[in-house]
Amino acid sequence: MGLRVYIITRTLLTIPTLLLLLTMVFLVMRVLPGDPVDLHFERKGTPEQIAQMRQILGLDKPIWNQYVDYLWGIVDIGYLLQHGYPNLGKSMQVTSQDVGRQIFSVFPATLELAIYSMIIASVIGILLGTVSSKSYNSLLDHVIRGFGTVTYAIPVFFLGILFQLIFGVYLHWLPVSLRINPNVEFPAHVTGLFTIDSILEGNIVKLFESLKTLLLPSLTLGIILSGIFIRLTRMNMLETLRLDFITAARARGLRESTVTYGYALRNAFLPILTMMGLQFAMLLGGAVLTETTFEWPGLGSYIVGRINYRDYTAIQGAVVMFGLFVTLVSLVVDILYAYFDPRIRL
Amino acid sequence: MWNKVELSIVVLVLIGIIVSSSTMYYTTTVMSNLSTLTSDVSTLTENVLNLTSSVRDLATITRVLAEAMGAFNETLADLEARLAAIEASLAAKAKETLIVGTTDAVENTLDPAQAYDYFGWCIMQQISGTLVSVTPGSISGTDFQPELATSWNASTDGKIWDFTLRQNVRFPDGTELNATHVKYSFDRSIALIPSTPDGAPANLYYDQIINRTEVLSKYKVRFFLNNAYGPMLGIISCRASAIVDPTYAPWMTQVNYTADHARSSTPLAFVGPYYLSKWERVGDRDIEIRLDENPYYWNATSGYPKTKTIIFRFYRDASTLRLAVEAGDIDMAFRHISALDVLSLQTNTNVKVWIGPGAPMFFMCFQEDHAPFNDSRVRMALAAAINRTAVVTTLFPGLANATYSMIPPGMLAHGDAFKELGDANLTLTTSLLAQLGYSSTNKLKFDLWYESSGHYQLSAEQAALYKAQFEASGVMEVTLKPADWPSYRTNRNNGIMDVFVYGWYPDYFDPDDYAFLYWASWLNLHYDVWSPTAYAQQIALYDQARYTTNTTLRIQLYNQIEDIAADQCSIVPLFVTKLWAVTKPKVSGLVLDITQDMRYWLIYIAG
Repeated sequence: MGLRVYIITRTLLTIPTLLLLLTMVFLVMRVLPGDPVDLHFERKGTPEQIAQMRQILGLDKPIWNQYVDYLWGIVDIGYLLQHGYPNLGKSMQVTSQDVGRQIFSVFPATLELAIYSMIIASVIGILLGTVSSKSYNSLLDHVIRGFGTVTYAIPVFFLGILFQLIFGVYLHWLPVSLRINPNVEFPAHVTGLFTIDSILEGNIVKLFESLKTLLLPSLTLGIILSGIFIRLTRMNMLETLRLDFITAARARGLRESTVTYGYALRNAFLPILTMMGLQFAMLLGGAVLTETTFEWPGLGSYIVGRINYRDYTAIQGAVVMFGLFVTLVSLVVDILYAYFDPRIRL
Repeated sequence: MWNKVELSIVVLVLIGIIVSSSTMYYTTTVMSNLSTLTSDVSTLTENVLNLTSSVRDLATITRVLAEAMGAFNETLADLEARLAAIEASLAAKAKETLIVGTTDAVENTLDPAQAYDYFGWCIMQQISGTLVSVTPGSISGTDFQPELATSWNASTDGKIWDFTLRQNVRFPDGTELNATHVKYSFDRSIALIPSTPDGAPANLYYDQIINRTEVLSKYKVRFFLNNAYGPMLGIISCRASAIVDPTYAPWMTQVNYTADHARSSTPLAFVGPYYLSKWERVGDRDIEIRLDENPYYWNATSGYPKTKTIIFRFYRDASTLRLAVEAGDIDMAFRHISALDVLSLQTNTNVKVWIGPGAPMFFMCFQEDHAPFNDSRVRMALAAAINRTAVVTTLFPGLANATYSMIPPGMLAHGDAFKELGDANLTLTTSLLAQLGYSSTNKLKFDLWYESSGHYQLSAEQAALYKAQFEASGVMEVTLKPADWPSYRTNRNNGIMDVFVYGWYPDYFDPDDYAFLYWASWLNLHYDVWSPTAYAQQIALYDQARYTTNTTLRIQLYNQIEDIAADQCSIVPLFVTKLWAVTKPKVSGLVLDITQDMRYWLIYIAG
């Protein structure tokens, strides 16, 4: 099977996956016991209050109508093009506000944090994992393994607070919270990613300030995530370095760095790529604790707020978007996998 | 003999051969060596030439490198200069800008006809103006100074009030403020009351107090009241009485002024020291509010506002707010660094702690629609179990005072009506609940709600203490339930919460603005439904008190209201807190007084 055919097939297979996902979310929210509107009012709402809320949210319609409305809202391209976000219904808190709009307002902050955290996690994880595997059973190997275990085990909020105290309160080097130095205007909204928007605006001050603010949360999250990558890289590298083709490569007199990075790491990379994809998808759902610790105004903070409010339509919208992100990232990872390893397409 | 000769010749020949061979070999070797030497010399010469060439190349490279280094140094110097310029520009900008961190948020609108929350009013105070205002630093909160009105007077019966307006006060579009704007503002607020029943004008009873307004001349406006009203200047000075710009406050339309509603990209401006240049909000969360100096401000010639720009940054968590002010990310933290943090920050030389008097009242409410809270004995049992002193000393040491009256200490008619119930009076609690059949085996079970998003301070800690105090009776089982501020308010409106703690920030400084809390309709406790007799008595006393100027009589009337309240325990006063802010050491000009107002136009960053 050629790569193009594989991509088309894999993309088409995503459609039933998404349909299943959307249906499950719908069923969980509407059909299972526990009426969201009743729960929203703590089971103490008057019949009038409940009826009014049901009407506003369209929950007074037959279940099939609701299902069709719900699916149509998500696939309605016209609505998406007109508003810039899918129709995910109205918020239960401020019933005049679109959930889609709320989610897409906070999503760029989460995306930016996820991208930089993944870069940090990957660089630290893969480099240290490789070095560790090369120094198998040495002191360096033990130190790196220890680092990997500690970073994997340490709670993100603890490391975050530690960084805030060291780099913010004591050294005064970096801001401890929010997205940009308050003295600096937000960059003009194009992508919503402050670093990218600053570059597009050609404003080095905004770029510098947004990177400064981004550093602590992304470093915290990146270091925490690097633990997984260290262990995964080390394990896969150790297995790969024992294989015959590595011995053959060494026998041919190739330089050790070529053997390690050009041959071994390349072959050990596929499971790491899968893990990167999964972790990235998870991050897109909002790194709740990191966002809360650093008051990062992203999807994680948004979801916490909505849960506090028992805003079921917003939670449903967030779950749908999270599902879409995971599906999309899985698709991209699978395609990359196929690209790197032609055996997948067989 | 021949043989000897022959032998000698042979030997000589051999010697000759050997010598000549040796000589030849030697000569050949020497010649060969000479040849090698020549070759080596030639190679050496070549190498020397190469070396010379290399040295020449090296010199060229060094020169190029030096040139490059020079250019690099220049670039570096340029970069350093640019960075210094950026830092200088940021530092200069920082002096013109005050960055304020808060856990507060605007509830939903900045329309004076609707807004009725502390932070909404705080923002409105910076961008709008009222006819009179409380003098900064006032101890009683009843010293008024001219603002948009330069003078005023009341008729002898107290039913007619005339205000003379300041001239040359202009809205940002250049229109001069005149008496029609004042009339428009009050008429509009009153006309909107039916559609904004939970707004400030509705809750302050503007429609009952003000009969009508009349334009006497361009700069003179008259208020006709239904009855003489003691705190008239109090309500005229509060944010609900802000004079609006008809352009931004259309008739019969309540607007929220967020970027997507009525305001578009136009900055919101009334006649205050600042105008609202930015308000970014997602859902219920404020992201950023920016206030810029209003160039048309009537008091600009006196040097106000002292800081050109105020930027509000919003935090969910009080501890992050503390870190932000300690790290120097923000210039000022106001509402709410926790009281316990404030005490520890007082010894930190990197920040300055400001503490002022306060009058925010905190009280416990009971939802009478939820049985058994419709029985006053249950409410009284809970009121008796509360230990206010423990709460104040544990959570607000030196920053709050326990109160047994809804009227704060120091104010006219402050009393001790609830003291008869005692603090942690568990004997009374158990005996009252025993009358209703509650015991250690049949406990009274209920939900105790608390605000969890930083709108009220140390709410979770307070709730935990109250739970412990109730459960210490052995006949109660309490479930704690948190809710963020918007949910808390919605739950309050929907009558969802069994028992909850609520706070009150006064609109003006008079018992009139506190006593009504016992039956405040917006609390939705259904007190009027379940305790109609007491309610009717209290309303009658309250109306008598608000429409008389006889102080002695007013004190008596308010005391009677409080006595009935202590019998009914519809709500139970707990404590009154002070007000505090934490700033960088260079921030000056804060005036913390009983009004709770933060007048940002007075604040500046020194040096």
